[in-house]
Amino acid sequence: MTAAAPATAGEKTAALVASVEDLRVHFELKAGVLHAVDGVSFDIADGETLGLVGETGCGKSVTARSFLRLIPTPPGRYAGGRIRFWPKEARQSGGEPVDLLQVPTSDMLDIRGNRIAMIFQDPGKALNPALPIREQVAEVFYQHRTEDLLEAWNGRAPRPIRRAASQRAGKLERLAFKFPPLRSQSKRLKRRVDELVGDALAETQIHNPRKIMASYPHELSGGMKQRVMIAQALACNPDLLIADEPTTALDVTIQARILELIRELQHAHQTSVLYISHDLSLVRRICDRIAVMYAGRIAEIGTTQQVFHDPRHPYTQGLLAAVPSFAHRRGELAAIEGTVPELIDPDPSCRFHTRCAFATDICGRVDPVLDGRVAGRPVACHGYASPEELGVAAAELPHLDRSPA
Amino acid sequence: MVDTAAPREPLTRTESGPLAVRLRRAGELTREVLRNPTTLMGLIVIVTLISLAFLAPLLTEPNRPDAYQMPRDWGATNAPPGTPGHLLGTTSTGGDVLYGVLWGARTSLRMSLIVVGVTMTVGTIMGSIAGFIGGKVDEFIMRIVDVLLAIPELIFALAIAAVLGPSFANIIFALSVVFWVKYARIIRGQIIHVKHNEYVDSARVIGDSKLNIYRKDVLPNSVTPVVVQATLDMGNIVLVGATLSFIGLAEAGLAEWGVLVSEGQAGISSGRWWASTFPGAMVFLWALAFNLLGDGLRDVLDPRTGGR
Amino acid sequence: MTTLRDDTVATPAKVGNEPVITLRGVEKYFPVREGVFQQVVGHVRAVDNVSFEIPRGQTVGLVGESGCGKTTLGRCIAGLTDATGGGIYFRLSVADRQFLDQVDAIPQEQRTQEQRDRVERLERAHRIDRLKGDAWRTYRRNCQFVFQDAFSSLNPRQLVKDIVGRPLKVYKEASGPGLTERVVGLLESVGLGRQHLYRYPHEFSGGQRQRISIARALALDPEFIVLDEPTSALDVSVQSQILNLLHELQQERGLTYLFITHDLGVVRLMSDDIVVMYLGEVMEHATSEELFASPRHPYTDALLAANPDLLSDGDEDTEMRGLEGTLPDPARPPRGCRFHTRCPVATPRCGWEVDDAVAWLLDNATVLDGLSGVERATDFDSVLRFGDEAAAGEAASLLESSDVPASMRTAMVELGTDGAQLRIRFEEVDAVRLEDVGGGHTTSCILHTSQSAGS
Ligand SMILES: Nc1ncnc2c1ncn2[C@@H]1O[C@H](COP(=O)(O)OP(=O)(O)OP(=O)(O)O)[C@@H](O)[C@H]1O
Ligand SMILES: Nc1ncnc2c1ncn2[C@@H]1O[C@H](COP(=O)(O)OP(=O)(O)OP(=O)(O)O)[C@@H](O)[C@H]1O
Ligand code: SF4
Ligand SMILES: [Mg+2]
Ligand SMILES: [Mg+2]
Repeated sequence: MTAAAPATAGEKTAALVASVEDLRVHFELKAGVLHAVDGVSFDIADGETLGLVGETGCGKSVTARSFLRLIPTPPGRYAGGRIRFWPKEARQSGGEPVDLLQVPTSDMLDIRGNRIAMIFQDPGKALNPALPIREQVAEVFYQHRTEDLLEAWNGRAPRPIRRAASQRAGKLERLAFKFPPLRSQSKRLKRRVDELVGDALAETQIHNPRKIMASYPHELSGGMKQRVMIAQALACNPDLLIADEPTTALDVTIQARILELIRELQHAHQTSVLYISHDLSLVRRICDRIAVMYAGRIAEIGTTQQVFHDPRHPYTQGLLAAVPSFAHRRGELAAIEGTVPELIDPDPSCRFHTRCAFATDICGRVDPVLDGRVAGRPVACHGYASPEELGVAAAELPHLDRSPA
Repeated sequence: MVDTAAPREPLTRTESGPLAVRLRRAGELTREVLRNPTTLMGLIVIVTLISLAFLAPLLTEPNRPDAYQMPRDWGATNAPPGTPGHLLGTTSTGGDVLYGVLWGARTSLRMSLIVVGVTMTVGTIMGSIAGFIGGKVDEFIMRIVDVLLAIPELIFALAIAAVLGPSFANIIFALSVVFWVKYARIIRGQIIHVKHNEYVDSARVIGDSKLNIYRKDVLPNSVTPVVVQATLDMGNIVLVGATLSFIGLAEAGLAEWGVLVSEGQAGISSGRWWASTFPGAMVFLWALAFNLLGDGLRDVLDPRTGGR
Repeated sequence: MTTLRDDTVATPAKVGNEPVITLRGVEKYFPVREGVFQQVVGHVRAVDNVSFEIPRGQTVGLVGESGCGKTTLGRCIAGLTDATGGGIYFRLSVADRQFLDQVDAIPQEQRTQEQRDRVERLERAHRIDRLKGDAWRTYRRNCQFVFQDAFSSLNPRQLVKDIVGRPLKVYKEASGPGLTERVVGLLESVGLGRQHLYRYPHEFSGGQRQRISIARALALDPEFIVLDEPTSALDVSVQSQILNLLHELQQERGLTYLFITHDLGVVRLMSDDIVVMYLGEVMEHATSEELFASPRHPYTDALLAANPDLLSDGDEDTEMRGLEGTLPDPARPPRGCRFHTRCPVATPRCGWEVDDAVAWLLDNATVLDGLSGVERATDFDSVLRFGDEAAAGEAASLLESSDVPASMRTAMVELGTDGAQLRIRFEEVDAVRLEDVGGGHTTSCILHTSQSAGS
């Protein structure tokens, strides 16, 4: 499969925050090479919320983690493609993007948490059980917001305080903070940290941030921990927030609150969001555009409206029909027969062809390309391919109803 | 009506019966165990040692009346290795070291099989009763186990063997008394863990008897760490047994590695290294080989490290 | 007492649909142990006073958030654990149930010998923890369970044939080639086949494993199956396969289901009746259409608001709303209505108590750092002792401020300081009861029932 650039070329005029092009991430396992992500392309525009939906194991988390190069290598391997990222300055001045798969590790450390922040599914595992919440949120400020911490000094902070503000103070310096003249200054720094941490927590509408700051993760409920994670993620005003199923572990009523919160904060901060979920009805409520993923590839991309009211890919069509909704009668739920294919050393083919009602011979032989020319927006299905380019007769292509529903 | 289309399945699978499936699975596990070179080496050494034990009567003329007693060649005491008729030399009392090494392997095999057999059975029964029944019975058994575990194995075995008087049978008895507790604890822990699996509840829902649930669901899923421990103990027991006979708790003149080392040690200072070195090396090899195999098994069998 | 019986025969709403399972005031308390000696310091009230019936051939859905006691109730019904209170009855007729209810209302010493004998007879014949011998075996065969996690509910060391054929072996229904054929038949009825007989569970996908579980549950041709979140571990596209399968089997075999789930969409699709649980108690119980068309409990409203796709008029523009606060400790559930701490429309009569005031202070201020002791007269009336007068005064003024939810403030009938002590007294209220609001639709919310809502 070749890069799917043409499909999205038209939209490149809008300022982009990130653009994933033909990303491939493979895992070398005993049984063979697992093509966890196998040619994924999508763009995230400035200020938008892009939903990435798909079933368990389709590669959503691997895609998300690739943004921050968090895949363990080995067994993982970035087997191709690039993820271009435009930091704020680059977007404003029309500067060059960076390729997140290529940037030096030192730059990556700055991007993590500062430019791109991530919230995970299980807030229990992402927080350090041994540190109070204050320290964990403060970490972000020490790492990326040293200048904010030193605001009150107007750039004339003494060296030890400077070093303390980026958590580089040595043993001796820390001892010196216990005595004048540094004592009062170090207290001032501490107050400033408290203030910023308190503000960050308060923004997530958590009750009594002061009390939360002093508590340890195990004293908080799942919903509260997720709020702390959000506070941590947004503390630096990142350009891009990646939320990997942030509410899956929570109860529905709490989940709804967290979603509202993410949406409000996104509007307030003008952050772009990549929102990952397997829950279609959730994604629909908070995303501007949706990319549907299946077995390591993008099936289709469109606005929320388009994907829900005019799904083009047979998989999306089946998926939407399979969610129990008000319109369904018992026993008449549409089911996609079969199960997800193994992704170990797959042959070129549409990954959906074993389950697709429209599949023809060509679907089992040739990789479909994510192409928007026939469907009007990116869809990876031979039903929307041009017979000439594939070199086959039009009759050999799957026969889908190509007109909008 | 519903999907019958499981993901493409190799056709050969449909034909195989239950026996073939079980054998194939055993084969897969064996292959996985042997993929690790150190485990393979352990296994080769074990096979060699056990073959030696079996072949001992063919390789050497069994002593009469008791083949497990060292033959005495009073005409050739302290003969160095390479002496004709005494390939590995003789001891200060004219015992053939080769005979001791070979029949010692037989003694060791006998000892470890008896002790492991007894302790594994007793430990599994006690641990199962404690874990599966629970409550007061569990409390009672586990307190005994705790007390026994608090005493170091060697010292405890030594105390028992010393009280009963020096004899190889007493050493076996002492080791049996000491080694079962570990099994009891392992299996109890496993059972308490396995008992809470939903497949146990599933069996209860269909109304199967307690005994059947124990036999089919609980025990088979609890037993792997016991197998691993038994393998390790096959080595450890020979080590402890040799130590006990080394300090003189076995009959003198027994064809047993510990006894031989003990008899030969006096000569080391005067350069007669062979009488204790060969049997000593055998103890070392035996214990090492079983430990290598045990570790390899653990890696593959123990669910916590990723096998199944 | 035939007269008693005669009065009651006409009333049941669902004539012809006698219940397979009847729950009467079922309770399951788990002891909470603490300290070196493991003393019992309290009880987690996982299931508290739950009553409903599961009519033959129907599906009753049980919904609620994590930890509300759904699984525990299902396990009690399946006989996997014993309820600590109340009774679970198998094939108890509506008339007999009404008789039991009536006798329950009569004080012990006023019951006639005849009544007592009949109660005893009914209990021995129907109450599952008192069934013996053949009666127990009949119940055991007819009540099966499908677990949420299809992986841990299949013995990893048994082949599919042994797993599915095991019930048949236990009841000596088949053996040898006959058994194999029966198992193949069962596998085919759940969409698997002969080729799957000799495989281990780990060789199957999640959906296929759940099919194996279902096949095993069907082996004895039971009347009733408890389905504990049978699809929540599965993907949507596979979930729909299983839901269709369950429906089809129900049609073919006239099965009765208790369908446990936290997914309202699934429960709406699958159930005739829906029971909504919160913190161990039933909040609302109605037919599926009723519940979605006109929910009569704020908790049900909240569940629906969190997933507006399920509303008939819901589309992507409908705002999604969540609930504030966290689930209270089930070992010390709130008084009055258990939902009042999170209820957006709570009234002063909903059960506000001293703990709520304390929790509010903890969440919103730091004065409680100076708290030195609490003297609790009742849950509604306590004295908080502070280190100094100022702190007590501050706490009092905070509780009087308009930041405190209005309904809680109104419910506070006394709030006064005496030196460093702060006395808080709330109006005392009774526990809420489920009440019929018409057509078998029951709810416990005082806003929708005759329980004194105003004050
Ligand atoms: N570290 C790893 N080693 C080996 N395989 C991996 C690793 N991480 C992920 N995979 C594989 O990559 C595939 C995609 O995984 P990924 O976590 O991205 O799925 P997902 O779409 O996020 O699913 P879920 O909804 O379950 O979170 C899976 O088949 C998974 O087994
Ligand atoms: N064996 C037990 N011992 C003590 N407490 C228990 C036990 N089993 C359940 N509980 C408690 O009972 C309450 C109800 O648990 P239950 O598993 O029935 O909830 P649930 O509604 O099934 O939740 P979920 O949706 O998470 O499955 C919980 O607070 C739980 O901690
Ligand atoms: S009874 Fe009161 S607290 Fe409970 S739900 Fe109804 S209004 Fe809310
Ligand atoms: Mg994931
Ligand atoms: Mg449950």
